[in-house]
Amino acid sequence: MQIEHWENWLLTDCTGSAQLPSNIVHPIALFHIPIQGVGTSIAELFALGQVEGAGSVGLEGYDWEYFSLLHEDVEYCFEGEVIEVERIQTKSGGVFDRFVFSIELSTAEGDPVAKVTNSWRFWRIR
Amino acid sequence: MSGIIDYLDYEIPSLIVEGVDPNKMKTMAAILRDPYPVHWDKDANETLGLEGRVINQGPLNLSYIANMLIAWQGPSCIKRLQARFLKPVLDGDTVIAAGKIIEIIDHEKARVRARVWLSRDNDIVLEGEAEIQLSS
Repeated sequence: MQIEHWENWLLTDCTGSAQLPSNIVHPIALFHIPIQGVGTSIAELFALGQVEGAGSVGLEGYDWEYFSLLHEDVEYCFEGEVIEVERIQTKSGGVFDRFVFSIELSTAEGDPVAKVTNSWRFWRIR
Repeated sequence: MSGIIDYLDYEIPSLIVEGVDPNKMKTMAAILRDPYPVHWDKDANETLGLEGRVINQGPLNLSYIANMLIAWQGPSCIKRLQARFLKPVLDGDTVIAAGKIIEIIDHEKARVRARVWLSRDNDIVLEGEAEIQLSS
């Protein structure tokens, strides 16, 4: 999978930043590019978590490691898995499922580029 | 700065985002192919008590931290970003990205760790840590 110029341009613009030099991909692309890279989508992950509608999903945290810069129009490889699902009850009586997945990016030659670990909350009772 | 040790406790120049733009959230939702309506359908948020407001995407909140770091040390400086999302940021909010160096990770490679955060009205809405490669 490649990150195309138009997509990176719009993404960077959304952040309020000037475009980065030398076709460097904005670092925030590590949110959606890995998800798409492994062949799924945010919608599919929501469906997997059986959540729908406002307030059903929350972000808990990200841990993103950058081993090298990402560039537009370069082929990257992706490999990932769901690494944790845990039901949590909050002190106020809420219930959510913590959903954690990790995806590694590498070049076509196998050199590591980045690794993301994202933790989401799928709310059952708020 | 005469040496890397001088960066300890250094406060990274902050970045102010005045009035988070709901139109950028719509574009972002399309780029992400994110079906979650809280980012683009203000009516959907009535059940959350957020009448007439939409919620900024978490990645955009984190991007303000990234942009602060890039403005300080260049586009290749970010080696790791860890973030915890504490409170939502809504359209029209003004937020400030800030950070402070808390550790020298590697003197020879000039790599440091910073505590980073995003605040609104002095209330922290996102916090975390960043590993940064100093440019020189």
